[in-house]
Amino acid sequence: MSRKALVISPELCIGCRGCQTACKSWNQLSAAKTTNKGTVENPPDLTPNLYNKIRYVEVPSESNPVRWLFVSQRCMHCDDAGCMKICPAPGALFKTKEGAVGFDKEKCIGCKLCVAGCPFNIPRYDEKDKITKCNLCSDRIAEGLEPACAKTCPTGAISYGDRNSLIGKAQGAGYQKLYGEADLGGLGVLYAFKDAPKVYGMEENPAIPESVIFWHKVLKPLAYWGLGGAVVASLVHYVAFGPKKDEEVK
Amino acid sequence: MANMVKKANAFEILNHWVMAVSFIILAATGFGFLFHLEQLNSIFGNFNAMKLWHNWSGVVFAVSLFFTIFHYLPVSLSLGSDDIAWISKAGGYFSKKAVVPPQDRLNTGQKLLYLIVLTVGTAIAVSGLIIWLRPAAADIRKWVLLSHLVHNIGFVLMVTIIPLHIYLATLANPGTFRIMVYGTVPLEWAKKRHAKWVQKMGF
Repeated sequence: MSRKALVISPELCIGCRGCQTACKSWNQLSAAKTTNKGTVENPPDLTPNLYNKIRYVEVPSESNPVRWLFVSQRCMHCDDAGCMKICPAPGALFKTKEGAVGFDKEKCIGCKLCVAGCPFNIPRYDEKDKITKCNLCSDRIAEGLEPACAKTCPTGAISYGDRNSLIGKAQGAGYQKLYGEADLGGLGVLYAFKDAPKVYGMEENPAIPESVIFWHKVLKPLAYWGLGGAVVASLVHYVAFGPKKDEEVK
Repeated sequence: MANMVKKANAFEILNHWVMAVSFIILAATGFGFLFHLEQLNSIFGNFNAMKLWHNWSGVVFAVSLFFTIFHYLPVSLSLGSDDIAWISKAGGYFSKKAVVPPQDRLNTGQKLLYLIVLTVGTAIAVSGLIIWLRPAAADIRKWVLLSHLVHNIGFVLMVTIIPLHIYLATLANPGTFRIMVYGTVPLEWAKKRHAKWVQKMGF
């Protein structure tokens, strides 16, 4: 199956936050009581019960004093996912056949390492210490439906489909390069930005933390070879030099 | 029966075994987490149970590591010219003709092993607690990543060094293992391998 993706176009988003509500509705996530901080960005951050949040960025300039940007923030469904790399529990985080990063709370052991391994600071953990995050509505897309956010979006700011054809379509619409086309092996959530990513509150070059890469590429093999090497070295020494027998000790 | 002398007391032996068993559980589950060894489910049940075994064995390990301070730290810190000579002869392990200098209650290799285990063990325990308890801090993700790195570097060192320790204390040096069972050794054995200690104790 070809990889699926979302393309998010902040320039089309009107900040209605219907996607936030649809996401909660489909995934049966309870609402949270928040306080008015004088911004439409509400709740202020992702929570175990909020997989998708509209970030609100105000970019006033001389020519356009009311430039408001709305950016959906959620799991990016990386091809090379930091959370999956660091996760110690097999099956807790997994790739669906559509290329989404799914999670299984039964298999999650609550170590929370994924929270540190994610380049985008997305995963949250619930009151039982289990991982929660957007899973691209795995249960919907497996049945050929769109994720709830894309389904409900009234302006086309969130579009779901075949990753390659979405990229092609965006190029046709004048976007030379989408955010996330090549980062982390290619993201499953792409952004059609008209400005530098940081204007929208996104990092220029997202990457898995270097220490996690080092651990994966160097320390893991070293643990294997260290133990094996020590056992082999002991055996070789025993055969080549033998034990220190009492009568030989001077 | 040969003339026996006491080299380790009951508490030291018990503590060493508590540490040994907790280490084996920690290392086995550690490999399980690193390489997703689902075969270990036949022992621990599932990865959730394995995490509990790992974390609480870590507590047991840390407590036993603390008690080792009283058993091994003073002698391990008493490094001198004999220890340098021991190192330059590689402990006599690679030549039947080598004559190694007289040794304390612990030989140079054991002293160095202990200093490494104490340092690495402390680092592993502290980093493990940070990952486990996740103390509230603004940059906790950075702390967890650092702890994850330290924990794993410590893991590599431990799983490399401890098998060598086990080999040296059993097959490579006949007569050593009984110390961790009975606490006693023949006086003649002790004179050959721990001459300085025998002299100090006046056996």
